[in-house]
Amino acid sequence: MKKKECIAMLLAGGQGSRLNALTKNNAKPAVSFGGKYRIIDFSLSNCVNSGIDTVGVLIQYRPLILNHYLGTGDAWDLDSSNGGVHLLPPYATETGGQWYAGTADAIYHNIDFISAYDPEYVLILSGDHLYKMDYDKMLAAHKANNADLTVSVIEVPWDEASRFGIMSTDEEGRIVKFAEKPAQPESNLASMGIYIFSWPVLKQALLEDHEDAASDKDFGKNIIPKLLAEGKNLFSYRFEGYWKDVGTIDSYYEAQMELMDEGTGFDIFDRKNRVFSNSNIYPPHQVVGAGSIAESMVCNGCIIEGEVKHSIIGFNCVIEEGCVIEHSIVLPNSHIRKGTKLVRCIVNEGCTLMEDSNYGSRSGDITLVNDNPKSDLL
Amino acid sequence: MKKTIGLISANYSNDTFGELTTRRTLASLPFAGRYRIVDFPLSNMANAGIDTVGLITPHNARSLLDHVGVGRPWGMDKKRGGLFVLPGAVYGMRTKTGKFLMRDLVKNGRFFYKDDADYVILSGSSKIYNMDFKDLIEAHEKNGTPVTFAYTQLKEAAGYEGLFLTLKRNGKIKSATQKPTTGKANYFLDCMIVNREFLINCTKWYEALDFMSLTEVIVDNLADIEVGTFLFRGYVGVVDNISDYMQVHRDVLQPSIAHELFGAERKIFTRVQDSAPTLYKKGASVKSSLVATGCIIEGEVENSILFRDVTIKPGAVVKNSIVMQHTVIEAGAVIENVVCDKYSSLGSGMQLVGQPDQPLIVSKDQKF
Repeated sequence: MKKKECIAMLLAGGQGSRLNALTKNNAKPAVSFGGKYRIIDFSLSNCVNSGIDTVGVLIQYRPLILNHYLGTGDAWDLDSSNGGVHLLPPYATETGGQWYAGTADAIYHNIDFISAYDPEYVLILSGDHLYKMDYDKMLAAHKANNADLTVSVIEVPWDEASRFGIMSTDEEGRIVKFAEKPAQPESNLASMGIYIFSWPVLKQALLEDHEDAASDKDFGKNIIPKLLAEGKNLFSYRFEGYWKDVGTIDSYYEAQMELMDEGTGFDIFDRKNRVFSNSNIYPPHQVVGAGSIAESMVCNGCIIEGEVKHSIIGFNCVIEEGCVIEHSIVLPNSHIRKGTKLVRCIVNEGCTLMEDSNYGSRSGDITLVNDNPKSDLL
Repeated sequence: MKKTIGLISANYSNDTFGELTTRRTLASLPFAGRYRIVDFPLSNMANAGIDTVGLITPHNARSLLDHVGVGRPWGMDKKRGGLFVLPGAVYGMRTKTGKFLMRDLVKNGRFFYKDDADYVILSGSSKIYNMDFKDLIEAHEKNGTPVTFAYTQLKEAAGYEGLFLTLKRNGKIKSATQKPTTGKANYFLDCMIVNREFLINCTKWYEALDFMSLTEVIVDNLADIEVGTFLFRGYVGVVDNISDYMQVHRDVLQPSIAHELFGAERKIFTRVQDSAPTLYKKGASVKSSLVATGCIIEGEVENSILFRDVTIKPGAVVKNSIVMQHTVIEAGAVIENVVCDKYSSLGSGMQLVGQPDQPLIVSKDQKF
């Protein structure tokens, strides 16, 4: 293959068990988001908007929807004869096969793939956060610092710092200490799980880590501490802007609701840094009869006959007469029958909700509804 | 299975659309919030597995070519088959009867040798319907005729322009006329299936009379050529003038017609633009409307069609109107029976009121 300066490796094999029913048949990166997107769209769009045209997607857990969705990568302009999207599942060799044992192990097993592009740098992404970032700027910082590894960091409130991987840095941004979920954080700079490695350094570290039987084969737990201990050049890259985890039901719900708040949330209307998605072609949505929509977001192919308030309705949904959908997220291809009321709910993809039912409550936990899901996942 | 290729005549237009068609052809006229009229013949062909399609283009083909590209949305970017742009003849006045001109067929005759096809489906690009072309092919084989015309039955033909058919008892065509008629009528859908050999022969026989259209050639020879028919029973929208254009949009606002056109098993494909979902903000009130993605709505919208990325500011009122992509209706502006072309804007407090059949047209990029 033609040499690339930088390629991206997107870790998309995790289950995302904290999203419960949403990831029962689907990998977290392929979970629907914001009505028309899937979580992986944000990382892939960041890549193409940053000029990265080669992305290896590491898959393992329930990849059916994800594989189908990525297709040839054409939806992100990543269908290229030199580069593009590559699906990288675990594979067998003459000595047998193994699942990816950890984030670093997944990359280790694809050293051949990376080497084929002979890159100077490798960008490692985890694809479960919502943010817009120009990786090219981060790469420029990596080069300017002559770094072996650059970790993107964001300031978090001190009282939340113990939930993150925390970096202590000197004045120049050099990482001097790394602590995974420390009880007594020394800094409030959290790792965003976005790494740029110089490829020879990463390759060497992966080969050595693979031989270490005690290692969990994890970037945060093993690779970063190892490079730090070896005295390699580790730098932080400060990110300022919207960054949100979407890995729990609460954060998944909040991040989507914030899409509707101008100025605070993630700007999906920004045409300069467009978020690309593999859209199905549906007609514009239709508001029919007494149907009404207020403070909401609605996608193509929907038929709205009921009342929608402060909610997100994914593509190809039907909200029948007499329904009241409040503070809820209805994922694509769902059908809410007459008279049903939802408050603070998430309705999984392809569900059918029966007539005159009530779901959710005005306080307490968000209700996840998974009634009569379609058996056809695609 | 016998092989069928397609030919779409997209090189005719007329002047009743005013500014809407000065820079674009009728085939690329935006429709129903996200489509262009040509999406219908293209999708009808794609849905019947036809992947070799010729598109006869006019001189003002920019917007059309911009839209169809290499035919990817219709699965026509293939090694075998494909979407072929066939430049149409440029001469004389713009005409609405320029469909299937012999001149265009003769000039692009090589196209008919592209695939060793048995049949060619020819379609115009100003009628809107979602037809299963497999049914048309089947009917044609049953007819055993060199040509089969698709038609619809009109309850009242007054006001329609085009070709009206009189049928024999056996369903074959007895005569055809372009003279306007009233009452019940069999109305040609600008859609026919022809044996390829017959079509190639026609281009040879009529090379010297290339100002005629294939339809005229066939009608002239009804005494000698048996022409079969296929009755299409679904919805047909005719877009021959601006008043038709408003009518077909009133039609698609009816959920049953929208469902038939778009919700059926056979999808209508179009170019995808990846806009965000539409955001309804405080103050938005939308009734009986069709709304594409990427709109930001804070005003009132009723019986209207909004294309993608339209902004309706607080207090603006949009009624019985068609608002094309990237248009901004500023605060307090009121429009009724208006067609706003792409990238136009209406300043705050402006009032524009047209007639239901004679809408006011705000042309592309125009700032009012």
